[in-house]
Amino acid sequence: MNNIAKSYGKIKALNGVSFEVPPGSVFGILGPNGSGKTTLLSIILDVLSADQGNFLWFGEQSSPEQRKKIGSLLETPNFYHYLSAVNNLKITNSISGRGDAEMMLAVLEKVKLYERRNSRFSTYSLGMKQRLAIAAALLGDPKVLVLDEPTNGLDPVGIAEIRDLILELSKKGHTIIMASHLLDEVEKVCTHVAILKKGTLLTTGDVNDVLVDDDLVEISAADTSVLSLVIKNYCNDIKITRDGNLLQIILPKGTAKLDDINSYCFSKGIVLNHLLFKKKRLEAKFFELTNN
Amino acid sequence: MLNIIKTEWLKIKKYPAFWWVMGITALTYPGINYMFHSVYLNITQKDTQRGKILKMLIGNPFSFPEAWHTVAYFSSIFIFIPAIVVIMLITNEYTYKTSRQNIIDGWSRTQFMLAKMIDVLLLTVIVTVLFVIVALIIGYTNTDDHTASRWSMSYYTGLFALQTFSQLSIAFTVGLLVRKSFIALAIFTFYFIILEPIAVNVLKIKFNSGAGQFFPLEISQKLLPKPAFIGRIDEAGYQASLAAVKYHVGYTFALVVLTWFFCFWINRRRDL
Repeated sequence: MNNIAKSYGKIKALNGVSFEVPPGSVFGILGPNGSGKTTLLSIILDVLSADQGNFLWFGEQSSPEQRKKIGSLLETPNFYHYLSAVNNLKITNSISGRGDAEMMLAVLEKVKLYERRNSRFSTYSLGMKQRLAIAAALLGDPKVLVLDEPTNGLDPVGIAEIRDLILELSKKGHTIIMASHLLDEVEKVCTHVAILKKGTLLTTGDVNDVLVDDDLVEISAADTSVLSLVIKNYCNDIKITRDGNLLQIILPKGTAKLDDINSYCFSKGIVLNHLLFKKKRLEAKFFELTNN
Repeated sequence: MLNIIKTEWLKIKKYPAFWWVMGITALTYPGINYMFHSVYLNITQKDTQRGKILKMLIGNPFSFPEAWHTVAYFSSIFIFIPAIVVIMLITNEYTYKTSRQNIIDGWSRTQFMLAKMIDVLLLTVIVTVLFVIVALIIGYTNTDDHTASRWSMSYYTGLFALQTFSQLSIAFTVGLLVRKSFIALAIFTFYFIILEPIAVNVLKIKFNSGAGQFFPLEISQKLLPKPAFIGRIDEAGYQASLAAVKYHVGYTFALVVLTWFFCFWINRRRDL
């Protein structure tokens, strides 16, 4: 993706976004509501046209033939309400050429819709509609999947099933591009992430590089206020946040040494009653990056 | 192309509203002709002086070959019924967002629009076949003279088909632009039944202008002039309307091309 931009009137939905999705990766696109995730996916699926920039699929210019090879779920499950799951999949198959009659039943089984395969789409619950959309994306076992909020409307069991499904596909070498606001999900399945805010790409890369760029240590003592005053002189690059009786201190990557922190506090007359090194979670990083 | 037809058939064949409206159409076309036929019989079979004079004057518009013209004219009044299906077939794609899914799944925008054009063509064929069946039944049951030329005016089948395709294409365009089925249906029906007829007549009567004949629906309405028995009340006007048909064939073709050019163009340009 190279310098993709899109405006709706005066509102810039995307502002020169560029990144590359490595083959075989599970690529998470993150961002708050209105950050441009769906707009970006709509552009690469040719539903929207970009004002500027270009993108390639499989190293080639986008075309209908390229899209046939991609299993996609964009924003909402889009099906003919008066048709059953099987008849809707027949249309997906007829247009894309992906899968066959046997595969249709197999994907419906996979998303646990087999029993209701002959019921009309209009009679499905939100979760069932979402499952059908995932079944349609899986039809024909495409090597690339684009999933926009794939766990929308699913119950906790359904969410876990989709997570397992994504991990299973990833192990088989499929490339999955996934937009989500469920950071926990992204953290569990993604190998790479891109974080968007108001249409601007804040950061992108390997999930471990994006995630673990700072060290996070939780400390507490009998007098939190005194501890707060003391610890801020521990080093120059320290950032401190207070959460009740706990202090969270953020230090540059690889500089948090628990022994040193403990000794430093003790030397200043403070006995710590809590000292914990935490991997900085995506949620914290996300909030920090997007200033939410 | 075959794949597009197959896909559209998959969408239509289990669409209950499509079959309901087609059923209504299948009843309406014979129904309206039967109604006028009954009125005709009612008047002309009376053994009164007036009945005999009328029969002598207007002949039998339901016998061959004039039956083609008469049935085409009456049937064309109910074009708004298949127009409902056309509008639903395009607006459904926007309501269910399947128009974008078709593109995501691998159709080009041109292929999507081609698919919709095939729907309109398919409906035109169905409606025309229905017209031919009604015309044949009415013609055969009303033609006593075995030497009458049964097929000499069968070219009205082509004119009927062209008018149907042209008017259904206008209905399609309204659906494409408005995207909401009920609003599109209301706009088309209001325009078809009220707005354009009033505008055409106001132009004709108040301003003595023939510009009304170039209105989107009136262009193809002129393909099927009033049948002889009505038209001959004003013989000169009737002959003029018959003479104008060949020009309106050209105008209608041009309008159809323009309409679909516009539909393909707008679908290519706008975001889904």
